Amino acid sequence: MTLASIAVRNVWRNRFRALMTVLGVAVAVMAFVMLRTVITATNVAVTYAAQDRVATRHKVSFIMQLPRRYIDTVRAVPGVRVATWANWFGAKEPRHPNDFFASMAVDTDSFFEVYPEMSVAPADLARWREDRRGAIVGDVLANKMGWHQGDRVVLRGTIYPGDWEFTVDGIYRATQRSVDRSQFIFHYRYLNDSLPAARRDQIGWMLARIGDPSQSGAISRAIDAAFDVQDVQTTSMSERAMNLSFMGMMSGLFTAIDVISLVILGILGLLLGNTVAMGVRERTQEYGVLRALGFLPKHVTGFIMAEAAALGAFAGLAGLALSYPVVQQGLGRWIEENQGATIPYFRIEPATLALAFSLAVALSMLAAALPAWRASRLTVTEALRRLD
Amino acid sequence: MTTAYREPEKGDPLVRLQRVVKTFHRGSEDLTVLDGLDFEIPTGSFEALMGPSGSGKSTLLNLIAGLDRPTAGKVLVAGNDLGAMNDGQLAAFRARHLGFIFQSYNLMPVLTAAENVELPLLLTRLPSAERKKRALIALRVVGLEDRVNHYPKQLSGGQEQRVAIARAIVNDPTILVADEPTGDLDRKSADAILDLLVRLNTEFKKTIVMVTHDPAAAERASVIRRMNKGVLQ
Ligand SMILES: Nc1ncnc2c1ncn2[C@@H]1O[C@H](COP(=O)(O)OP(=O)(O)O)[C@@H](O)[C@H]1O
Ligand SMILES: [Mg+2]
Repeated sequence: MTLASIAVRNVWRNRFRALMTVLGVAVAVMAFVMLRTVITATNVAVTYAAQDRVATRHKVSFIMQLPRRYIDTVRAVPGVRVATWANWFGAKEPRHPNDFFASMAVDTDSFFEVYPEMSVAPADLARWREDRRGAIVGDVLANKMGWHQGDRVVLRGTIYPGDWEFTVDGIYRATQRSVDRSQFIFHYRYLNDSLPAARRDQIGWMLARIGDPSQSGAISRAIDAAFDVQDVQTTSMSERAMNLSFMGMMSGLFTAIDVISLVILGILGLLLGNTVAMGVRERTQEYGVLRALGFLPKHVTGFIMAEAAALGAFAGLAGLALSYPVVQQGLGRWIEENQGATIPYFRIEPATLALAFSLAVALSMLAAALPAWRASRLTVTEALRRLD
Repeated sequence: MTTAYREPEKGDPLVRLQRVVKTFHRGSEDLTVLDGLDFEIPTGSFEALMGPSGSGKSTLLNLIAGLDRPTAGKVLVAGNDLGAMNDGQLAAFRARHLGFIFQSYNLMPVLTAAENVELPLLLTRLPSAERKKRALIALRVVGLEDRVNHYPKQLSGGQEQRVAIARAIVNDPTILVADEPTGDLDRKSADAILDLLVRLNTEFKKTIVMVTHDPAAAERASVIRRMNKGVLQ
């Protein structure tokens, strides 16, 4: 038995109050973990965004298309190693009309060369290239829809009306956290050949992999300059630059998240402080007894701080226990499955858990500091006389 | 603490108060409770302190116990001048020489009987096993060896007070102070507590100062002192 072990037992003296505090703080800790994870998960996209990949789109809008012949011009720009293109298909699986996933018609020869972080078994890739109606799908999407290799899949077009038939030739896996694992990738030829002549040979955007990432700015400008004299002009940017500009647009949101995080920490501190202060007030006479027995003011302070630390630790652990199923498995899973295009990797960082737990303990001790100091300053007779 | 200390012998004054004044300040008002009190308690005595409420009994007891310092005059206990000690020295003095018995027992509800008794020994360097052994011996002295692992709320008032007495004697104190130790108890439990105090006095040679309102309790002491308006009669 030590004073510290007695302090830990003291936490549960008023069970109902302790339980309500622990639950309240646990919810606050979970909210904190959730907000931090939004920020860390968004940062993953930027951290892993390729600087050696330049995207080129219509200068006016993303939704406007480019002539297919433009790809040859891009491929001829010095510094470009390999270039590909893609069209947004925007189809839905009719049995799951509310589940969003990215579906794209791509150039089968070059697409996966530009996206080396999407890994496909060579045999599957070879089969897919020969199969005009073949598709390569992400593992998360395949799991969600229950698709397996060889399955026949029908998607309903939204931009290109009608039912479209595919065969799943392979599943791609991510070798990097930034990869959206819910994409549906199929042949550009299949789409293009099905269109009326007037709509053919249009592409959504182009992607070039360059040799020297430090030249991404110059190469982007060179690509756009090549189309300056054409009727349709372009805007090019590296993926990193695109993500950074996206993060820039989001900076207001991030500031708001930081402010809310602080508010949550404040609530957490108040909850803990209130509980500790009530406990200290009720136990003042006990501190008087301890002092009468020969314990010193520093023992009383330590006793109260230990109790506060234990309360914070219990509450922090409860918060982590709550965060895992709610944030990681609930929200995180949903986001990865449904918002994979923007946030492909929504997992709690260990550092976030450590931070949340430490803050719960530290704030509890901070909140206890004043009551503890006050209690230790009482004279023995004052403390003993403090009846209820 | 390193105050010179010699084992007192029976009959030596263990407590000596010389012209003790105690004044409380309440805002702008001064309340002098003890005004030049002279008083001695011989080693081995069992003293009962009676008197009306507010007459200063607890104030006197607190001075003897080293919980408070006199405004003027000297309080000498077991050779120590308590008024001259700082807070840390007083705390060490209490841990070494004092055993406290309160009216409302003041046990820690989260601790078992044995743990409550062990509590004062946390201030010593005794190893855990030795502390537990001593707590058990003290509980045996008060006749609660079969309630060792009970929590205070599982005990009767009389039993709680006996645990408190075990806690008071576990450090083998020089002097026991008890402020209305039977005030919350029925006659039968009170008598059992008084039997125990008498036994601690006669068998274990403990000097005891007990404040009480109860004439039957006072009867059990070897000396009865009456206090009125801060004056002993
Ligand atoms: N810490 C204190 N501050 C102010 N007044 C006090 C304090 N302690 C005791 N008193 C006053 O001193 C007087 C004597 O109190 P006390 O010694 O407790 O009396 P008793 O124990 O005989 O009933 C009372 O009037 C009480 O209100
Ligand atoms: Mg009193």
